[in-house]
Amino acid sequence: MQNALVTIIAACSILIGAYSYWKSKKLSRDIVASETELKSRMYELSILKELGDKIGYSLNVQKIVDVITGSLNQFIDYSTVSYMLVDPAKIVFKADLQSSVSRQFVDDIKNRMRDSLSALLDKKLDTIPVEEALTGAMLKESNEPVRSFFNIPLVIGGNVVGVLTVAHIKPGLYHEEEMTILYKIVNQASQAVTQLEEVVKTEEGKLNAMVESMGDGIVMTDKDYRVAVVNPAAKFIIGLPNKNDVTIFDFIDHLEGKFDIRGKLEESITLGKIFSADEVAIGGGFFQILVAPVKGSHGTIKGETVAGVVIFHDVTKERQVEKMRDQFTSMIVHELRSPLGNMKKIGEIMKEESIRQDKKAYDEYVQMFSQSSSDMLDIVNDLLDVAKLEAGKFEVSKRKANIKEIIEDRIKFFDTTSRSAKIELAGVFGREIPVDVLLDPLRISQVLSNLISNAIKFSRPGGRVFVQAFMHRNGQDLEREAAEAGISWFKDTENKLPNDYADTLVIAITDTGEGISKENRGKLFNKFEQFGSGNRVDKPKGTGLGLVIVKGIIEAHGGTIGMVSEEEIGSTFYFTIKS
Amino acid sequence: MNEKELYKALMTEIIQKQSVILGPQIAILKARNVPSLVIGDSGHVTDIKEDPRAALQSLVDEYVKLSGQIVKNALGSIFIKYPQVEGIQ
Repeated sequence: MQNALVTIIAACSILIGAYSYWKSKKLSRDIVASETELKSRMYELSILKELGDKIGYSLNVQKIVDVITGSLNQFIDYSTVSYMLVDPAKIVFKADLQSSVSRQFVDDIKNRMRDSLSALLDKKLDTIPVEEALTGAMLKESNEPVRSFFNIPLVIGGNVVGVLTVAHIKPGLYHEEEMTILYKIVNQASQAVTQLEEVVKTEEGKLNAMVESMGDGIVMTDKDYRVAVVNPAAKFIIGLPNKNDVTIFDFIDHLEGKFDIRGKLEESITLGKIFSADEVAIGGGFFQILVAPVKGSHGTIKGETVAGVVIFHDVTKERQVEKMRDQFTSMIVHELRSPLGNMKKIGEIMKEESIRQDKKAYDEYVQMFSQSSSDMLDIVNDLLDVAKLEAGKFEVSKRKANIKEIIEDRIKFFDTTSRSAKIELAGVFGREIPVDVLLDPLRISQVLSNLISNAIKFSRPGGRVFVQAFMHRNGQDLEREAAEAGISWFKDTENKLPNDYADTLVIAITDTGEGISKENRGKLFNKFEQFGSGNRVDKPKGTGLGLVIVKGIIEAHGGTIGMVSEEEIGSTFYFTIKS
Repeated sequence: MNEKELYKALMTEIIQKQSVILGPQIAILKARNVPSLVIGDSGHVTDIKEDPRAALQSLVDEYVKLSGQIVKNALGSIFIKYPQVEGIQ
């Protein structure tokens, strides 16, 4: 009984001892595993932190791989750690020797890495030159081959950019777990770079969209004059709107003899200076060309010239306006000099005793003197009106007035002129036109005078001029309403009539004159443009400011003015006034 | 060639290509994580114990999990040679 008890106690002791041993062993294994996991996690975190600290917002892959390989010995044992990066023109191979290995070992690693990249990219890389750099221990004579190694592909934004390789002379050295952790770290670094690249690409996209949409031609080259940015306007200027790979030579060829783009870029990049050429004639236009250096704004390139930019600013329109302004000034001077010259001559004649004695002749000269001064005053008044319009100081004094009476008064005024020109002048009034309309009677009379005068001037003997007034209803067809009110307007297929007017009074002057050519229609209301009047030899004279002022008066009333025409048939000028 | 042999040949080619890309040691270790595959030391698939298609999917998943989609893309030329095998996900 006692023996049995001792046996049981002994068995229990053995069991407890065995259990304790197993438990302590397990605990020890768990601690080791936990320590290993903690170590790898710490390494993972430290390397990612180091990447963040050292690389910041850099997108330089080589710099990133340098950081990874530089601290790898904290985590894994190796003879060499190396990376190979693919560039279109070359392959960069860099190996850090932790211990001395043979040249053959390095070449073996290099070949394996190139094979790996070739398999990943599915293309042969044998012909691409390799730029090699070795750091760390010295090479030595040895027969130790590569016995352990693994490659980690370097992928940025879904594209293979290189491979990182860890190798050792000892066999079977690397365990799955530690290799997997390294893959994970490299993948995380790649993802971080990919995300950063996406941000940069988005920002670049915004910038490119802006450059693309700019009216000025923009070309940016690097320091070796390779075109980095060229927008559609720049390609259009050199006559290559559809060429994809525009080079600096395309610009040199096109600008030959006009602008030394290569020389100016070189000077600008080398000396950091800005050059500008005021007026360079290119392809029928005129361009102001600016060449400037592009300097880095941050990091290691801060303040350093990194590129050159050429801006082509189209000044063709400015030159045209300048030319028109000069022509306008000459025309006004001429128009003023003519009556002034007449007045001077008349004044000299009137001083003659014989004329002073001849009352009839004297009265005639007084009348001529008065007419010339009146002509001059008209021109000066026109200029003053235009000046007020341009300064936004043109004002109308509106009051209730009978529009029908104003029209009839103007028809009466031009009756003699139209009769002598053998042109029929008549008023046509719609049934619904209001009696009183809020307007400036003097200014509206001025508008009517100008339009009726033009209509008579541009009509041939036997022609007709109608001054028409009718009510337009919103949404109705203006042309049809005019026809229903008694006059069919002259309108060819190029003319478009607005259809969004509110209810309004429409006044139209229709003539059976020579019409207005399509090319001249756009010039009608332009201060600086006087259009030719067909083949007429007796071209009417004038400053051409009349229609500019007419438009200003109508717009000051809150109305609009328009014109439709058929060449050789006739024209209709119409304007609206709120009823 | 029956279906099993076809899959063995295909998966052997995959492991060999991954051996070039990643190195033979890690390529074979990852292939051995697929329980239904028996892999020789040279990376040859010597046996498939269960559904070969599921094994193929698991094998590719192992490599994708390790180094991303790019290594799967590199297998395109191998799959072209086995038109009988439908594309894997």
